[in-house]
Amino acid sequence: MNYEVLTWLIPLPPLAAFFLIVLITNKSNKISHSLAIFSAGLSWLAGMIVFIWAIGPQGVHQQILSSSINWLPTAQSFLKIGVQIDALTAVSLFFVAWTVLMIFIYSVGYHNFGSPKGEHDQPGLPPHGSTELDPDGKTIIQMSIEPMYARFFAFISLFAFAMYVLVLSNNLLTLYIGWEIMGLCSYLLIGFWYAKPSARAAAMKAFLTTRVGDVFMLLGLASLYTLTGSLQYEVIFSHEVLSQLVNSLSPVLGLSWASLIGLLIFIGVVGKSSQFPLHVWLPDAMEGPTPVSAMIHAATMVSAGVYLGLRFFPIISAGWEGGLALTPVMFVMALIGSFTALFAATIAIAQNDIKRVLAYSTISQLGYMIAAIGIGAYSAAVFHLITHAFFKALLFLGSGSVIHGMEHGVHHSGEHIDTQDMFNMGGLRKTMPRTFITFLAGGLALSGFPLITAGFWSKDEILSGAFNGGFNLVFIILAVSALLTAFYTMRQLSLVFLGKPRSEAAKHAHETPWTMTLPLGVLALFAIAAGWAGIPESFPLIGGKIPNWFGEFIGPMIHNSEHGAEHHSLVPLFTSLVVSLGGLSLGYLVYRSINKDERDPMEWSLGGVYKVLAHKYYIDEFYDWAFIRPSRWIADKVVYFWLDLRIIDGSLHAISNFSLWLGTLLRKKFDSAVINRGGDALASSARKAGSEMRVMQSGRVQDYMILALALILVGGLLVVLILL
Amino acid sequence: MQNSILWYILLIPSFSAILLLFLPESNKKAIRYFAFSTSLIPFLLTLIVWFGYNQEAGGYQYQSSVAWFEAIGSSFHFGVDGISLLMVLLTTLLTPLSILASYRIEEKIKAYMALFLFLETGVLGVFISLDLLVFFLFWEIGLVPMYFLISQWGGAKRNYASLKFILFTMGGSLGLLLSIQLIGVTVNSFDLIKISEVWPALTQSGLQAKIPLNLSLESIKAIAFWAFVVAFAIKVPVWPFHTWLPDAHTEAPTAGSMILAGVLLKLGAYGFIRLVLPLFPVEAKQFSGILAGLATAAIIFGALSAFAQKDLKRLVAYSSINHMGFVILGIAAAAAAYQTGNSAITESATIALNGSILQMFNHGLSAAGMFFLVGVIYDRTHTRQLEDFGGIWAILPVYGSIFVFTSMASLGLPGLNGFVSEFLIVRGAWHIFPLATALSMIGLFFTGVYILKAIGLLLQGPRNKRWLPLSEINRREVWVIAPLMVLMLVIGIWPTWILEIINNAVNMFF
Amino acid sequence: MVSLSWYLILAAALFLIGVYGVIVRRNSIAILMGVELMLNAVNINILAFWHYHTQLNGVVNVSGMVFAAIVIIAAAAEAAVGLALIISVFRRKNSIVAAEMNVLKG
Repeated sequence: MNYEVLTWLIPLPPLAAFFLIVLITNKSNKISHSLAIFSAGLSWLAGMIVFIWAIGPQGVHQQILSSSINWLPTAQSFLKIGVQIDALTAVSLFFVAWTVLMIFIYSVGYHNFGSPKGEHDQPGLPPHGSTELDPDGKTIIQMSIEPMYARFFAFISLFAFAMYVLVLSNNLLTLYIGWEIMGLCSYLLIGFWYAKPSARAAAMKAFLTTRVGDVFMLLGLASLYTLTGSLQYEVIFSHEVLSQLVNSLSPVLGLSWASLIGLLIFIGVVGKSSQFPLHVWLPDAMEGPTPVSAMIHAATMVSAGVYLGLRFFPIISAGWEGGLALTPVMFVMALIGSFTALFAATIAIAQNDIKRVLAYSTISQLGYMIAAIGIGAYSAAVFHLITHAFFKALLFLGSGSVIHGMEHGVHHSGEHIDTQDMFNMGGLRKTMPRTFITFLAGGLALSGFPLITAGFWSKDEILSGAFNGGFNLVFIILAVSALLTAFYTMRQLSLVFLGKPRSEAAKHAHETPWTMTLPLGVLALFAIAAGWAGIPESFPLIGGKIPNWFGEFIGPMIHNSEHGAEHHSLVPLFTSLVVSLGGLSLGYLVYRSINKDERDPMEWSLGGVYKVLAHKYYIDEFYDWAFIRPSRWIADKVVYFWLDLRIIDGSLHAISNFSLWLGTLLRKKFDSAVINRGGDALASSARKAGSEMRVMQSGRVQDYMILALALILVGGLLVVLILL
Repeated sequence: MQNSILWYILLIPSFSAILLLFLPESNKKAIRYFAFSTSLIPFLLTLIVWFGYNQEAGGYQYQSSVAWFEAIGSSFHFGVDGISLLMVLLTTLLTPLSILASYRIEEKIKAYMALFLFLETGVLGVFISLDLLVFFLFWEIGLVPMYFLISQWGGAKRNYASLKFILFTMGGSLGLLLSIQLIGVTVNSFDLIKISEVWPALTQSGLQAKIPLNLSLESIKAIAFWAFVVAFAIKVPVWPFHTWLPDAHTEAPTAGSMILAGVLLKLGAYGFIRLVLPLFPVEAKQFSGILAGLATAAIIFGALSAFAQKDLKRLVAYSSINHMGFVILGIAAAAAAYQTGNSAITESATIALNGSILQMFNHGLSAAGMFFLVGVIYDRTHTRQLEDFGGIWAILPVYGSIFVFTSMASLGLPGLNGFVSEFLIVRGAWHIFPLATALSMIGLFFTGVYILKAIGLLLQGPRNKRWLPLSEINRREVWVIAPLMVLMLVIGIWPTWILEIINNAVNMFF
Repeated sequence: MVSLSWYLILAAALFLIGVYGVIVRRNSIAILMGVELMLNAVNINILAFWHYHTQLNGVVNVSGMVFAAIVIIAAAAEAAVGLALIISVFRRKNSIVAAEMNVLKG
């Protein structure tokens, strides 16, 4: 089989599906979703074939697959684009293909395919449900189908295409293209229900916040391209280029070019992976339909940011060897990553919206990965990226299923409650058992439940990396965050599924259709089992029994020697166990039976801090005050009103008014006074002379004759006189 | 045939404009179809030229020359290279589309269509002429129809806008004429090819007799340089000569704005590339820093001003300033790279100039598309105030999707055309003007802000009862925008075909 | 042999009579006749000078006679046009008094 061609083909089916749905099949929901899922399936199939080849004996350990074509002519040479398969691509391809396919299938059920159209539904708003008469003559409210069903599938197809492009490309330019198209898709999908002002604002926020990072990244791209003359990984990550970058000084702050470029690219990562201080968009991104949240939080967007950080590890870590001082970029990454992990975890404690909790947990987990890259724990970061993708996709889809069930309940009970508020739920384990089991698997993975869940293994590896590398501060911060993570995860699990229903809707919630629960099951499988592929050899008791396949596969990706793998201290292991089990039991104890109308125990125990946490440290408000309003004011008042209308146009108008004044002056003082009046005088004197001489014209022939005679006589006389 | 094809491209529009005058005024349909179909002929001829152009050979091809003013050495010397060919293609493509877009014009339609066709001749003449005096001649010819298009078929403030437009541009062309005369007197010819060989290399000795007013050669060159720069800067427009543009664009009829933004702004940038860079390399290099600064100002202030607008059409107009700023930034980078002897800098300059030229073309597509879409919604709602809109997407899904697509091209989304050119410019200029490029990123960011503002206020939001009876974009209107969209996508995905011809032409500069 | 002066005196007398007629008479036809008299006075002068200048000196020359003939022709034409005009005026105004024909008064 020609794997090169196959690799080129992987991203194309979703793109084709996008265009086909938009241009042709948008009237038919059935054809549209079939097309989208079929295309995702094709990509999945091709991706799996390539993946299996890549991990096989003939795979990427023998030779990295790379294939390029000329794209942009630049002076005497060409800028090439192309695809490549190496270990990082292969594993990313694996989780992207699976999560994307699952999310596609899930969307069919989520958007109520097969339900009737709602009477009051309109494009741009979530469906309200349709009213029908049951056989007994009672009106019942049913779920109704999403009005823009086909469009949704078109958009997520494009989203999937962009992610495939990003993962498969062998150069920074096509990666950037995929990166930005994802930005557009996130904008379109977060704002999918664009008629809601909150969704509109969230979409704009997502696009613009990530764009802040993107413009810096573009500069990093430009400088990398300028310095190395290429954007292809095999060129820019070669030893000669890297050492040249490390040893040349950039004009900024005495950083080497490698550090400057690394920082610029990292700002892009911060935007995309929603790290502090550009994290504000991700929690709001849940305004979109839930499959979109899963897409953004797991399969695509934020994973892309971490993927870029991993991809750029050679430049980020250029000049660094295990045990040496971190490069400036790594230092910044470790700092921001661990800070974000803790910071987001604290906020997640005080959120009541089921999706918002998950959103902050994503930010926190991404902080883990960034911190792992920062401390050089490369394969731990990759590992966590993958396990996180599975369990976070699972959690989001599960929360979507919960909300769906709740909406069903609301249609039944007719209450007007927020279906996403966890304090309105409770006891759902009975009504939605399949969702409960799978959600539990995801939640345990997120909190790092020991041994059986994937999250434990990957998180443990990051913690041990931090501890063994000697980054104690990072280790402590991450451990505390892990405790908080376990706590708020259990808080969520307890509030949603345990205890008694706290609303009528929760009582009448209904399990969701198989199109939604099947993906949940598949993802739950991965959320548990994915971790077993990477059990470190030095792990007590079971280490070495199962081969650490993952470490062996990913390890050769980096040139720098990795530390921590050789020797597995028991401290991080115990820490992992303690924080995860401790957090879980703490959460269970506090939240196992919250009654109706009872307030959050955290609210009184934390006091004022709770308010700060619930308001996310007032960062949105601060940004509004510090950036958004000033830029609005500058644009409105300074640039447009003062500069354009007052100064530039004002001086133009002044010039024109001056010319007008000068013209008027000349007209009055010179034209009218001198020229006109002089001309008038001449004309009137001529007229006067004429009118005075008119008496000579009698009109009578004889008078003229006399005159002529007289003149002749006089003339003759004169002639005679002069001649004589 | 080979040599005279440019003549046909140039004169067929005028010829059909004259024929148009013999059609009965009452038969509006015939007038429209006649104007549209004849305007397709130059486009088809341009395609012949495009495919017949020998890329390996490069340089000026399809040359033809007819004596005009033999006494002063001026002739109708026409020819195209990669850059002008691209601009000719843009012009002949946008004119039929604009005419198709103006089918809703009802009053004085004969005069309207005739003016449009005359305008095309004027613009094409600028792009293909290789004689300075003829260049100037067409430069001025292009102004007049546009003035009447704005002042006769424009919006409420059309008199102010058209007067501002023509005074601004005429003000610029005074200096242009003067310096063309200066060069002509000094070199004793107006032929561009001859001048570009002789003029930059001129030395003081032996010339004193020819130079008027006893000036030194340096001062002559400096005067001529600045006269050129101001004339072209007004046309582009470079900040701070830009304030005519929002007024003119906003008041012009839809198709007028399409041509104005799509083609007429390119005249200025084309002048920079065709005349300023080759004729004044030393001066251009000396002042390239200032030019880059002004370009950055245009990028940032253009974007911020666009963000501040409440009128959709004005917002789009300001976006032109923002985008053309990138063109000038690339040109400034190219100017700064003259004779550095450093091959890396030359490469960056080539890339930047490639980007500038492609950006001219791309902006032609996206700005024309945006103005057209503004026109479509204005035709239906008779308002352009953003706060009056909202929820249009739910009512007009096709229109909304087209609008999003086009505005994303304008925003520079990768995968669409704007990104390729902006990336090339940033890549090239970053090497030469790092600070200006870094600052222009602010503008790039705010490009996103104002585009999203437009989409947010126009399309998104709850379905607006007031606009429920609006009719969806019709078939004719789709035909106007579809070619533009296809080109945007094609250039975004596969820019090689168009960049190769640009790259070959640009390589001749360095 | 009659001397030249007699002819000249005759011509002057005729001319003066013509002038008197032109200036004094009210009847347009009489004015026209006065003009004829003046022309004929001139003719007499021309022929007298011709005669004394050429015939008596034996020069062969007919220009005097030709000149006089032309004047006579011109006078005839003038009389014809003048009379036609007068008839036309008479038809309009029913009068041929010269003083009443003053439409050209300034």
